[in-house]
Amino acid sequence: MIEIEKLEKTYRRGDGTPVTALRDVSFKIEAGEFVTVRGASGSGKSSLLNIIGCLDTPTSGTYRLVGEDVSGYSDEQRSHLRCRRIGFVFQSFNLLPRTTALENVEVPALYSGERVDERKAAALLERVGLAERGGHFVSELSGGEQQRVAIARALMNDPPLLLADEPTGNLDSAAGESIMHLLTELHAEGRTIIVVTHDEATAAHAGRELLIRDGIIAMDRLQVAASAQVPR
Amino acid sequence: MRIGRVIVLSLRTLARNPLRSLSMMLGVTIGIASLTAMASIGESTRQETLRQFKRMVGSYDVVNIVPGAASTRGMPSLTTVEPSLKFTDAAAIAAEIKGVRQVAEVQNAFDIDVKYREKATVSAIYGVSPNWLEMRDYFIESGEIISAEDNASLARVAVIGQDIVTGLFPDEDPLGKQVRIGNVPFLVKGVLVSRGAGPGGSSLDGIIFIPVLTASKRLFNRDFLTTITAQLDDPDRPEAVVEAISALLRERHGIVPPGEDDFTIANARANAEQIAEVGSTLGTVMTGVAVIAMIIGGTVIMSLMLIAVSERRREIGVRRAVGATRSDVMLQFLVEAATVSVLGGIAGIALGIGGATLAAMRQALPVALIWETIGIAVLVSVGIGLVFGLQPAWKAANIDPIDALRS
Repeated sequence: MIEIEKLEKTYRRGDGTPVTALRDVSFKIEAGEFVTVRGASGSGKSSLLNIIGCLDTPTSGTYRLVGEDVSGYSDEQRSHLRCRRIGFVFQSFNLLPRTTALENVEVPALYSGERVDERKAAALLERVGLAERGGHFVSELSGGEQQRVAIARALMNDPPLLLADEPTGNLDSAAGESIMHLLTELHAEGRTIIVVTHDEATAAHAGRELLIRDGIIAMDRLQVAASAQVPR
Repeated sequence: MRIGRVIVLSLRTLARNPLRSLSMMLGVTIGIASLTAMASIGESTRQETLRQFKRMVGSYDVVNIVPGAASTRGMPSLTTVEPSLKFTDAAAIAAEIKGVRQVAEVQNAFDIDVKYREKATVSAIYGVSPNWLEMRDYFIESGEIISAEDNASLARVAVIGQDIVTGLFPDEDPLGKQVRIGNVPFLVKGVLVSRGAGPGGSSLDGIIFIPVLTASKRLFNRDFLTTITAQLDDPDRPEAVVEAISALLRERHGIVPPGEDDFTIANARANAEQIAEVGSTLGTVMTGVAVIAMIIGGTVIMSLMLIAVSERRREIGVRRAVGATRSDVMLQFLVEAATVSVLGGIAGIALGIGGATLAAMRQALPVALIWETIGIAVLVSVGIGLVFGLQPAWKAANIDPIDALRS
């Protein structure tokens, strides 16, 4: 699914001095894996996330997504990749304000070039447990519910990869736990999921954990996933 | 992204912020309203002027030849014109000029005393050849029109206008009665259908027609004409005929250029069009208002859209993250600007047409609805939206999604 080799990312600060956010990062993620990328702020995990999510390009090294080297892709090509292959879930939900839950779920379909399928959007809302909330405005939903809408949105174009950036960061522990359970279920249904977090408890849900520190992969280990304890 | 979807999306977005949307529309609305109203009122006025002019001249397929140089003003009459146009000139034009269907002769004077028993009035007296009445669309309400025999036999018969009926025969049927025109007795043979008011608003019914030869020999005792009216075969192309008539009359009158012509040829339709186009100062002012309002409207759209783009950074970031390309974002904001502008334009069209209709009704003008103007107004408003939406859309398209999502 993902092959990253000798990835390096260097930024220039305002004064022109270069800052290396990622150096010599290499790893693979197979289809169907549930991986957490854990690291403190400033560790380079956001940079890695942006590159994996095709929002940004590496300075050097290669990034293969579903067998395709996308490291040198243009802005437009990356937009199409994000549309088709990646479902984003954000810490702050990032739903469109003054818009209903259903309309939010439909947004990615606007850009896929296909007809917007309202029934599919409704089915996805049902899948995340919000069957009755489709007509509600985002402001009428709780944080946990908003994150569920965001997950349904991420699934709208059937992407092979689900990318969640601190999905529980803005939620209380109960809501956070239930979101992680939802992601675990989606993983169990066969989806590839990457969760970026700084939180060890969240990281414990995944079957594999990548620890990133100072721009390098400091640890890559398999673990007994908390998901194994969730009844199917 | 499909354009239909984008328009729906734009309408939704606009509906969610109605106050801002209305402010964006306002300038365009005023501009388009002004433009539409102006075009509509202008057309109403033009139609009405042409109608009045037509009522006066009867028909447009004629040219009128009057004595005197072009600088001579006002309606010709026996007391004001030089005696340069003769009956023989009229006959020569009829005989020699190709493209002239028929020629009519007129000898007229104004403010002639007319009496019936103890009642008196003044009237314009038109001695005309019988075909003139037909050419000019004069119709008889009762009695009979002047005939060729009346003219040939110098009959003292008259056909009178409605104002004369009112003045001399308030309670009587004028047919068969004898009136005195400048002390010469005439038999009333017919009564004209009313023509209403002319371009100046004055009545066209204070008129009496008599045979032109009777006028010349038995009333005015003059052998020159005040007008020769020539009906054209092809009224759309009068130039060649007018030129031929000029040449003929110059030759007959012995005028050699650079000598000044002692006659003037006026094309009725050209005159009417000219008069109808005058009086567009109001139009110029309103065009100015329209242009300024639309520039202001466009600028308002641009500023408010720029603000909206800043406020919607996060939305733009989300859309980019889930797959929108730069072009998608650009299109979305351009369509939004065009949509709000067109909505403003449609409101403006409604307002403008409403206003113009009201104005036309109050002044008893015909209501003119110009589809071309409506089409142009819609195009103009789309154009305003696109032009002034360009910068905000460009700004939106170039927002970095990483920054936008972090903020």
